[in-house]
Amino acid sequence: MEIAPLLEWLQQTALAVQIRDSLYIFPLLEAAHVVGLALVVGTVAIVDLRLLGLASSGRPFSRLAVDTLKWTLAAFLLTAVTGGLMFITNAAVYFDNTYFRAKVVLLVLAALNAVVFELTARRTVAGWDQAPSAPPLARAVASLSLVIWIGVIVAGRMIGFTATRAAATAPAPVDTSFEDLLGLPAAGDPAQPAGKSPE
Amino acid sequence: MRDFALWLATTSPSVFIQEHNAWTIPAIQSIHIAGIALVMGSVLMIDLRILGLTWTDQTLQQTTRRFGPWLTGSLWLLLATGLLMIVGEPVRELVTFSFWLKMALVAAGALVAVTFQRALRRHERRWEDDLVHRAPIKALAVFTFLIWVCIIVLGRLIAYDHVWGSWSPAS
Repeated sequence: MEIAPLLEWLQQTALAVQIRDSLYIFPLLEAAHVVGLALVVGTVAIVDLRLLGLASSGRPFSRLAVDTLKWTLAAFLLTAVTGGLMFITNAAVYFDNTYFRAKVVLLVLAALNAVVFELTARRTVAGWDQAPSAPPLARAVASLSLVIWIGVIVAGRMIGFTATRAAATAPAPVDTSFEDLLGLPAAGDPAQPAGKSPE
Repeated sequence: MRDFALWLATTSPSVFIQEHNAWTIPAIQSIHIAGIALVMGSVLMIDLRILGLTWTDQTLQQTTRRFGPWLTGSLWLLLATGLLMIVGEPVRELVTFSFWLKMALVAAGALVAVTFQRALRRHERRWEDDLVHRAPIKALAVFTFLIWVCIIVLGRLIAYDHVWGSWSPAS
C-alpha cells in the first residue's frame, strides 16, 4: 500500500489548509492537546499508583477504576482529535519523524499493556480488590504503564523540536530575536516563528 | 525585564542549559508536563468530588487527603522545572505576555488550592454537611478547573506569543 499519496491528500484537504493558514488554530490545538494529555496521564497515574499500593490503597480498586476510566477516555478523545488535526497540517513530515513513530509505537504498547491487564489481573480482581496493592503481574503492568506514558510525553515534546511546521503564512518577523543579538543558540520551539524560514 | 533576561542569559547555569539544549530543554519540559499531569489529575478528582461525580464513597476530606499532597508536591515540581526553563531561556519566557498572564493565574490557582485545603481542615463538618452541596462552591470548583486549563493553554502559548498581537512585548 502506498502511503505517500494519502499523506499528500491529507495535507491538501480544506481543513488542513485552514489550520495552516491560521495563526491561532495550531497553537490552540497544541494547547488543547496538552490539556488532554495531562488529564490522560494524570488519571492513568491515579490507577497505576493504586495498583502499586502507593496511593489510594485503602480504596477498592474497582471503585477507583470506575471513577477514573471514563475521564481518561474522554481526555484521550480530546488528545486524539487535536493530535489528528495537528498531524494533517504536515502529514508527510510527521509520518517520517522518528519521535512521531516512537510515540505511535508507545501508544500501541500502552493499549496492549491495558489488554494484558484486562485478560489477567482484572479477571481475579475480586480476590485483591480490597488489598493495599495488586498482584505482581498487575504491579508490573502499572509500572510499565507509567514508564510508557512518560515516554509518550517525551516523544511528543521531541516532535515539536524536530518536525518543522510547514507554515504557509508564517507571521512576518517583527523584531530581531534576542537570541540572534546575543549570538546564543536559539533553543525555542522550531515551530515558533522566530523570524527565520524553517530549515 | 529585557535587561534582566539578557543578564540572566549570561549566567553560568543559563549558559550550561543553552550549551546542552538538545537534551536539557526537552528533558525539563517533559518533567514539567508530567508534573502538570499530576496537578490536573488531582484537581480533576477533587473538583469532581465537590460536584458529586466521582469519589462519592469517600468524604470530601478523604478525597482531599488523597490528592491534596500530590497537588502541592507537583506544584513544587512545576516551580522547580519552571524556574529552570526561565534560567535556560530567559528571553523566550520573560519577554512574553503569555508568561506573565500565566503567572497571575498560577498565583490564583495556587491560592485557591492552599486556601481550600486549609478551610477544609479547619471546618471539616461544615464543608461535608453544608458547603460542598452549595451551588457557589460547585461553581467555584468548575472555575478552578478552568483556571488550570487556561494555565496550560498559556504555557503552550509562550512559544506562540505573537497570537497576542501588540500585547506581546516581543512585537
